[in-house]
Order: sequence, then structure tokens, then C-alpha cells
Amino acid sequence: MKNIDAKTHVSGTSVYLDDIPLIQGTLYGAALGSPVAHGVLHQLQLEEALREPDVIRIFTAADIPGDNQIGGIIKDEPLLASDHVHFCGMPIAFVVARTREAARAAVKKIKADITPLPVITDPREAQAQNQLIMPPRTFSQGDTEQAWRECAHVFAGAVDINGQEHLYIETQGAYVVPQENNSLRVYSSTQGPTAVQRTVSTTLGQPMHRIEVVVTRLGGGFGGKEDQANTWAALCALAAWHLGKPVKYALHRMEDMAMTGKRHPYMADYKIGLDSSLNIIAYEVTFFQNAGAAADLSPGVLSRTLFHCTNSYYIPNVHATAWSCRTHLPPNTAFRGFGGPQGMFVIEAAIAHAARVLQIDAAVIQQKNLIKTGDEFPYGQIAQSEAGACWQKAATLYDATGWKQAVDAFNATHRLQKKGLAFMPVCFGISFTNTMMNHARSLVHVYTDGSVCISTGAVEMGQGVNTKILQVAAQIFSIRADRVKLNPTNTINIANTSPSAASATADLNGKATLMACNAILERLKEVAATALDTKADAVTIVNEQVLVNREPTGWDWQQLVSAAFTKRVSLSEHAHYATPEIHFDTVKEKGHPFAYHVYGTAILEVTVDCLRGIYKMDAVKVVHDFGSSMNPDIDRGQIEGGIVQGIGWMTMEEVIFDKEGRLRSNALSTYKVPDIYAVPEEIVIDALRSTADNLAIFRSKAVGEPPLMYGIGAWFALRNAILQFNPEADIPFITPMTPEKVLMALYSNKEKGIIQQHEATTSHLGIDQ
Amino acid sequence: MSDQLKNAEEYTSGTSRRSFLKQSSLITAIALAPNAVVKAAEEGLDEKIAAAIEQMPLNVTINGVKQNLKIEPRVTLLDLLRERLQLTGTKKGCDHGQCGACTVHIDGQRVNSCLTLAVTTEGKQVTTIEGLAHGEELHPMQQAFLDHDGFQCGYCTPGQIMSAVCCIREGHADSPEEIREYMSGNICRCGAYSNIVDAIMDVKQGGKKV
Ligand code: FES
Ligand code: FES
Repeated sequence: MKNIDAKTHVSGTSVYLDDIPLIQGTLYGAALGSPVAHGVLHQLQLEEALREPDVIRIFTAADIPGDNQIGGIIKDEPLLASDHVHFCGMPIAFVVARTREAARAAVKKIKADITPLPVITDPREAQAQNQLIMPPRTFSQGDTEQAWRECAHVFAGAVDINGQEHLYIETQGAYVVPQENNSLRVYSSTQGPTAVQRTVSTTLGQPMHRIEVVVTRLGGGFGGKEDQANTWAALCALAAWHLGKPVKYALHRMEDMAMTGKRHPYMADYKIGLDSSLNIIAYEVTFFQNAGAAADLSPGVLSRTLFHCTNSYYIPNVHATAWSCRTHLPPNTAFRGFGGPQGMFVIEAAIAHAARVLQIDAAVIQQKNLIKTGDEFPYGQIAQSEAGACWQKAATLYDATGWKQAVDAFNATHRLQKKGLAFMPVCFGISFTNTMMNHARSLVHVYTDGSVCISTGAVEMGQGVNTKILQVAAQIFSIRADRVKLNPTNTINIANTSPSAASATADLNGKATLMACNAILERLKEVAATALDTKADAVTIVNEQVLVNREPTGWDWQQLVSAAFTKRVSLSEHAHYATPEIHFDTVKEKGHPFAYHVYGTAILEVTVDCLRGIYKMDAVKVVHDFGSSMNPDIDRGQIEGGIVQGIGWMTMEEVIFDKEGRLRSNALSTYKVPDIYAVPEEIVIDALRSTADNLAIFRSKAVGEPPLMYGIGAWFALRNAILQFNPEADIPFITPMTPEKVLMALYSNKEKGIIQQHEATTSHLGIDQ
Repeated sequence: MSDQLKNAEEYTSGTSRRSFLKQSSLITAIALAPNAVVKAAEEGLDEKIAAAIEQMPLNVTINGVKQNLKIEPRVTLLDLLRERLQLTGTKKGCDHGQCGACTVHIDGQRVNSCLTLAVTTEGKQVTTIEGLAHGEELHPMQQAFLDHDGFQCGYCTPGQIMSAVCCIREGHADSPEEIREYMSGNICRCGAYSNIVDAIMDVKQGGKKV
């Protein structure tokens, strides 16, 4: 089935936040972000800004009637800075004016009197100074101390992983319209309507029932609109509350990039030990997460780094510690993969390190150590593994041996062009790692004409969740898809929702919808049974026809619905689903946190131009564990998109902050995301169809996040290509592998290292002051 | 040039946009003909110039409908479409000509409407995503995007479609490689690229007029 938004998307009639028709008298907001990354805020000079034409009022921390606090997991982030600033771009004041231009112009006229304090941008430095978001966490299994003695080979090294800008093409924004009885309607471009509701309620000091949050759809989220959408909604709400007027703020791209957090950069130290037959028997890793200036979702992201620190491998002895380090960058946040990709990159680096020294193909170590059903993850869950099956199928289907020979032959005959090949297995757990969040509700109404409308807490952002939910209802009722409509997400219809995240949205909301539809269906069958003088379990509905013992009765769906209505039978249901079986003990760091895992293997090929350092992605060929996909078109799109985003993160997307904590990669001109030219020439996706029962909706496994991590293979394929050109190359485990880094590595050597450090090359970047 | 800009900034600090217009017209004029302008300024001409250019008449045909408008000269075509005419199908992704979400046609050619001052469309034909279909019947490119799932979140889609139509019209859609090159100004963060290429190839090979 096609995405239900297809028609409106292609005709330009899909409504996003910035497209909502405005109510007369709407005012426009604009936030002043701190120009300094760390300092004492003494005073704001607003007079000049207030004299600007069309300016109505400027809000500061003093105007917040409730708590000046937007921290979700940890209460450590003010909505507006009051005495200190903690990152460049931290909102200090909110100007409201009659026009957007006037608001933005006035922002530039505000003078903030700030005494700068020392700035930390490096997570290791923050850790050394005990600047921590929370105490460190450690996952362990077996006994690494003991195991090192049994190792034939031990390797240790360091990794430096950069962040990633979300760059949803629709920027952040909110539009708040006052309602009667001191209520507010908040339109927000958010993945977490309840988080917005809670934040507005806290900052205004008003009960949650006065705040209605409405989300139609997002022009991309990728995790960036999970908690980071709260600020703009709360600022608009603050102004609307005081002024009694609708207030809108849709961020300019450069404001969005400067003020919002990104994927977490990580640094890490690893130590890996193998026995003489190349079994990985010990792995120690320490992660330094660059959380930025406030917790935001960092604790959750950190836990997923630990959960996925052994990727698809079984390692009997593991000791993994993660530090969440407070720096003076914008608070980093969720981004597709949620810390998992960083954890996986480090183990892949450790394996690549071992393989290089042992002069074997990393794929040999990777394949040998894939986790098997019955093996235990370091967090105690027992694997139901498809890792080996995916790898095998990929190796056979894509003729890995022949492919490698072709690459070797190419490299033997080309001096200035080299190809690299890499395998990337992925294992990703599905569920919110915070067990408490794994629940959802669905409200299903059947109207007397037989049409159906559904409300859930799911937010549509391109992942096709609403299409899947519609499919659930159409299938359970066995009615035409066009009888079913999905409502915009609204906190009045569905309360206390978890954000649309963790790849779990279709599962959770789909299951709740399934339950609601089934409840209505049972009641309808009773009505049919009474009217047709039979038992309810003899009644089925097939293609809108009511059957008794599989024989037509002459009744159809519509007639059945009318009959139920006249018999005063409820045609509505509100169902609640909570993922069963999952639990996790955060003291022991053991449990069964995931409903299931998604597996897959990708093989990637790149070609490097060894004169210029530029490269192209030749092919990405994947075998992916779909379970049994309920919408192959949508799922395929998710996989392709994930791969492209993952490759972008690993190769071209370079977030650059200077030492003062100012973002230098602050526009699309200085921050490159994959364009249509950067996409692999060939993307092949094959399904591993597993029929084993799982907790996914219709056994169709979640697909949002896992494919992003196939992109990690691009980094290692590039590394392999560089080594073909220069076997002595010094290739530090630093991401992304931009063409300039490739060039430096191509002409480096182990003794001298890279000839020019990267910092020296950033001076060409534009500075927006 | 950069000196002029600096001057302009000094002049504008703390003053209204109206006086900015007065002064900037004056500055431009100074650069052109110092003597004449000094005289003009003395005669209060700058006031008249500012008044005259604050709202400019604009006659433009948008999606086949003639529009007689009065607009400020600094308004971009994108803002005119979205905010004055409620044609919100054209999207703003960056406002800096870097993403392609705002692509429209002017006299059949694709342009980034965020980089186009609306006044420069005087007497021209502008087509937006809303003007592409014939009534209920989708344009072949819209249909192809639908058939090939050439989108996920849909935000870049109007720009992609408008750009794709011109990619074919310009004769730059003969191979997937060529399509990639000539569509590389339209960013899709969801990464629906391969379906976008398929959609364009499909329309090109179908041979329908675009
Ligand atoms: S909005 Fe015009 S190119 Fe991005
Ligand atoms: S479909 Fe989301 S940006 Fe292209």
C-alpha cells in the first residue's frame, strides 16, 4: 500500500507547521541566542530593541510564571538563561513583534552583558574536571581481567567520533493559539507531543489539561525534534499566555543549526583480545559522551551506546563504561540510532585494528564472532539471533568471494584508483531502553456510515507510521483502506504518549490499534450473531461482507455497523498496549530490555581517487531482517534513507565547533549532507524473511533506525581502499572520513603520522557574526 | 562594495526601515553620482524616493492567474507565494539557495524562489507545485513521484518535482548519471534519492510532455 500522504505530498497540499493558516492578529517570535558559550549573564539591554518598529514585547527569564525549567530526564536546563549562559545559542530572550522581520531585526539590537568563563568542548577534558551529567555506567559480563591472560593477541587504541546535524528540511517551530478558559492550543513540529505539553505546563505553571498539543506531520525529525522541539513551543506559549494573542516562531535554518543539539560526538578507548583461533574473548571500552551543556536525552543515548557496544558479536568477557560529559556545546540529543551507532563504530574499529596487525581480512574476525541464538548479550538478554543467517545470505547472494576477487583485480591493475570493500553486520534492539516508556494508546471510532477514524500518539515524519496503522485497521475490519482515516496527533485524543522514536512507534501504536479494532470487531460479531441467530465465533468479515461459517449472509460492513448502532452497541474503543516481557534492572545492569532485535549485514564498496582524495560509493548490498514486512515499499525507503544518512555521517557531514564553542559548520554551505550525487550508485536490499514469532506488529520488524548503521561500513571500506594505496598509511579512527582526511591518510606514514593536522584546515569556514 | 555595506549598517542602526530605504537609496545614488545626489538630498528628494519604492507595483501571472500586487521591493518570491498568496506548497528549507525546497518555475525555467526578489518577476509567468496539475489530473511527474515513492516526509518533494520537470525540459535526463548531476541542487534529507531518479527516468522514458 502507498503512503497515505502520497497524493498531498506530490500536490503540495500536505500541511506542515509553517503552512498552518494563521489567525488574524498572529504575532511572530524570535529568540536571542547567547553569543558566548559560557559566562555570567549580568544584564540585558533591551531598550534599543524595544524601540524597533512593530516590536510588542521582549520576554526574559523573569517573565516565566512557572518553573524556568525544560529538562526532561534531569532538571538541568532553563528555558531562558537567567544568570549564566552555558552554550552558544542558548536562548536568553524572546522578542515578539508584528512581523517576522521585525522580530528578527530586534533580536540583533539586544545587548547582553556577559562575562566569559572558561569553555570546555572536549568530553575528555570535561570528564577530567568531573563535569558530568550523571555518574558513569558500566556493563560487564564475564571477567576481562582474567581473560586478558588467555588472549593470544591484545590491541588497544582510541576513537574520536564526530556528531551529526539533523538537518530535517523543515526547521523547528511552534504556533500557539490561546483558547477560552485559560487554555492554549500548541501546534508544534515535535516527535513528542506529551513532552511539549509537559514543558509548556511546567514553564507556565498551569495544569497539563489546559495545554493541547497538535501535530499533523513533520518534515523530517530523525530524533532532532524529540526533546529539542520543547523550547520553541514553550517560548511561543509564554508569549501567547502573557499577550493573549497567537504567537508563531518557525526557526530560520541558521538559527536552528546554531541553537539545537545534534548527534553526540564520542571519544572512546578500547582494548580487544583474541585467542589464537580469532575468537574475541575480551573487550574493554570506555566511552566519553559529549553531552553538551544539559542532559536533554543524553542518559538514554548513553545507555544505548552500552547496549550496542558489542554490535552483532558475542564476546564472553566485556567491561564497558560510559561517561556522560558536560561541555559547553548545545545539548546533544537523539538522532536515529540513539547512541547505538557510536558504540558499534568503536567495536568495528577495534576489530579493524586487530585485523590490520594480524594481516587478515576484518571480515574473518567479524564472521567468526557473530552472536548465535542462545548467546547472552552483556546486558543479560539471550539472543534470538539472525546475525549468521544475514551474513551467510549476503555472502552467497552477492558472491562475496567473487566480489573480493574483482576488487583485488581492480587494485592490481590501477595505480591511482583503489577500491575498498567492507562488511557491516548490524544488531539493533527494539524498544525504548527505558522500559517505562514502552506503551501506547489508540482511539478508534467507527461512524454510523461505516467510516473509521483513528487517533494515536504516533507522529508521522516520513517513516510511514500512519500508513501502517491504517493498514492494521483495514486488515482487522477487512474493509477498504479508504474507509479509514488517521487523525492528526493530538494530546486531547491520546494522553501521556511516548515520543515517536526508538523505531518502536509502529509496533506500539499499531498494537494498540489492533487491540482497539479487535474489541470493536468482537462487539460487532455479537450483534451479527444475535441478528443472524448464530454464535459470534462463527461470524467473520471478509472484504466488507459478513460471513457465517464462511458463507455469505447478505449483510455487509455498513449494515452491520448500522445494526450495532441501533442496538446501542459502542462503536468506539480506546485501547492501551504495553510491551510484554521486557524488564531491566539498572542497578545490576541486567535484564531483557528489548522486545526483539533486528539484524542485517551490508557489504559496501568504494573507489578512492588517490591523487585527489575524493571517492565514490560504488555499491551497498544488504540482507536485512524484516521479519515479514507489512509494507515493503515503505520499509525499503526507510532502509535506503537510513543508509544514505549513515554514509553521510561517516563520510562528509562534519560538525565543527571552534575552541570558543561557536558552531562553524552553520549552514548548508559549510555543512555537507548527501545530495543525490553522493548516494551509492547501486543499492540492493534483500529481505531475510524470518517467520519466527516476535513482538512486532504483524511480525513486521521495526525498520527506522537499524539501517543507518550499515553506513558505518563506508568508513571501513574507505580505510581498506587507502591501505591498498599505502599499506603504511596512518589512519586514525576519527570520523567523518572527508575527502581531505582521505588525502592526508593516503600520503601519511606510521612514523610521521598525518602530515597536517585537521584543525589547521578549518580556517576556510565562514564565520557568521 | 563592502564599504558601502558597512556604511549602510551604520546608517540603519536605531532607525526605521523607512529611513533605511531613504538612506540606502541615497547611498546607492552617492556611489553613482555624488553631486546630483547631494543636491537631491538638500531638496528632500530622498523622502520622495523612499515613499515611491516602499511599495512597488507587481504584475505577475501565478499558476495562470494574473496578480496585480503592491509589494515591498525586498520581498522574495518565496515569501510572496507563501505569505501573501497562501501558496504554501513551495517550501522554505534554508532561505539561502542551498536546499532547493523552494524551487518554482519562472517562464518555464527552474529557480530558487528564496533567491529571487518578487519584483523581478514583473510581467512573467510563475508556476508553483499547486499549478502543475490539470485539475484533478496529476502532472506526469507528480504521478511518477507517487508511483515510485519518491519521498518520505514530503517536505522537499514540491521542490524536487518542480526541479525534475525542468531537468527533463532542459534535456538533462538522458541517463541516471545525468539526472543525478542536474538534480544535485535539491536536497532530500530523508534520502529518497534513488526513487526520485527512478521517477524522473520513468517520465523521461514515457515520453509524455512535461
Ligand atoms: S529555501 Fe530556497 S534553496 Fe533552500
Ligand atoms: S522526503 Fe523528507 S526531505 Fe525529502
